[in-house]
Amino acid sequence: MSSPEDVLHLKRLKETEPIQNAWDNWTTTREALRETTALLGDPDLRSMASEDHAMLIESLTDIIKTTFPAILVPPSRTAHLSALVELKSGVGGSEASLFLGEMLRMYLRLAQAFRWKADVVTSSELDGGGIRDAVVEFKGAGAYDTLRWESGVHRVQRVPATEQSGRLHTSTVAIVVLPLMEESEANDEALYSMDDIKIEVMRSRGAGGQHVNKTESAVRLTHIPSGITVAMQDERSQHTNRRRAFQVLASRLMEAKLIREMEARRASRRNLVKSADRSDKIRTYNWPQERVTDHRIGLSLRNLTSVMEGDGLQDFVAAMKRDHEETQMEEALLE
Amino acid sequence: MTSVTLALLSARLGKRQAALEYKWMKRATSEVPLERMLARRVAGEPLQYILAEQPFGPLTIKVKPPVLIPRPETEHWTIRLAEVLNRSSARTLSVLDLGTGTGCIPLLLCNMLPAGSVHAYGIDISSEAVSLATENAALCGFSPSHDITRNSFQAFQASFLDPSFPHISLGVAPPFDLITSNPPYISWPEYMQLPHSVASYEDPKALFGGPDGLDFYHAIAKLVARKDFLNPGAVVAVEVGDGQAASVQRIFTTTAQMKTQIWLDPWQKKRTVIARR
Repeated sequence: MSSPEDVLHLKRLKETEPIQNAWDNWTTTREALRETTALLGDPDLRSMASEDHAMLIESLTDIIKTTFPAILVPPSRTAHLSALVELKSGVGGSEASLFLGEMLRMYLRLAQAFRWKADVVTSSELDGGGIRDAVVEFKGAGAYDTLRWESGVHRVQRVPATEQSGRLHTSTVAIVVLPLMEESEANDEALYSMDDIKIEVMRSRGAGGQHVNKTESAVRLTHIPSGITVAMQDERSQHTNRRRAFQVLASRLMEAKLIREMEARRASRRNLVKSADRSDKIRTYNWPQERVTDHRIGLSLRNLTSVMEGDGLQDFVAAMKRDHEETQMEEALLE
Repeated sequence: MTSVTLALLSARLGKRQAALEYKWMKRATSEVPLERMLARRVAGEPLQYILAEQPFGPLTIKVKPPVLIPRPETEHWTIRLAEVLNRSSARTLSVLDLGTGTGCIPLLLCNMLPAGSVHAYGIDISSEAVSLATENAALCGFSPSHDITRNSFQAFQASFLDPSFPHISLGVAPPFDLITSNPPYISWPEYMQLPHSVASYEDPKALFGGPDGLDFYHAIAKLVARKDFLNPGAVVAVEVGDGQAASVQRIFTTTAQMKTQIWLDPWQKKRTVIARR
């Protein structure tokens, strides 16, 4: 049996592993370089040695330029978290809802590629096709860290199928990505106290009990200190609606906590970086030009079909992740 | 065809409820075609009978006409009762559910209380209820077995109004640690006012509680007042109708000399009377 101290030590050891590996790699490569340099004087081996010499110099440069700085990036506190994604159609009416339906499929495909378990928690489908809003769970390690940069307003520019005159429309879908935790993790984070939560069942049942057999399962939670409310009505079970509402509440409070922590870190560096607002337009999907542009990093690719129907979204997700890591590295170096 | 049926459903239930119920019917794994389900719902049949099941806490309870459909009020107090028992007792509980219907109350207790701590019995006057409760015990994994580390639930046909209840031949013998019941509590005048979906589909034997709706509480109080019917520290939990809590409290304090307490349901109605010796 391992004691709690052992577990703590092992965890610390595990966390320092990348540093040890980088250092080992550095010393062995340097040793190899030293040996190769000695051989350069040997006329028989010179040509072979000089080739190795060049390669080893390149490896060492790469270690200095990439591997060492990467160690400075603090390990993500959210790396293990799943994600809860809320999609809401914005301006553009039914066209926005149609686009939301397509985006939902786009993210479900991304989930498949990353082997996350995706589960549509709620969705309000419209009679004329399309979805007004939806909440989706993506379960799997790294889901939150990968998807979090999808938060913001996504804009679509195209001629809707229903448009007779062929006029170009602009519609939007707003996306909010929240960290999703297991119940036990949420408890560990101490995000709320039950005394601060008002639980309401919606709509009256008259006398209730045996007098009524109407299905009434909608639940609303209010977190009094923050004023956050969560309503859930999609399931027939009040029990399930209540559990899901608590899960969404925990996600919202966890996000607020992560933002507070990030701001505290930045303030302590007196290096205030403007954080992206949820109302900021982050990406444009332009049909006539077959183009997708991410406005935050100025990345513009003519791969719209691949983004919507294939795996083109992965390019954007990877670029945003890289950009975030580079920013973190810069911040760390500025300290 | 479907759009007409949907419009009728909206007219009946309101747009929001109709949309939800339509979604649940679409999602159902039932062999009944969607069109047929919608038509039955429009005709006023309870959704639960159409879908043939009802969530009850984490359980899925099978429902079948005319056995009483489990209500969210009952779900709520049963969960609370399990939480209270989880905190207070470490011993094995012998549980008797009077008028068990689908068996939902004892089955949820079996599910929520520690393994091996619950041996529950349910009785019902209706043979349909007894066979459905037996089926639900099997579906939920709480059929009686020789494995004493598991919780168990078993249903029997009997009437607790019968003076000889529980007859020695029944195989259910006092003393008990917990009595639960959602007895019929609808009074004669209220019975005439019931919605079509209740009165025309659910078993009157599960609903009608005598002229003032209190007949069964008198019977339960007399039963638990018998010598050696309850173990020391036993709890009686009964669901009551809107406006009956005070009368039922009085019945238990006078007939059975018990201390009582009232629990509210999620809609702030006085729903459950808890009596202790």
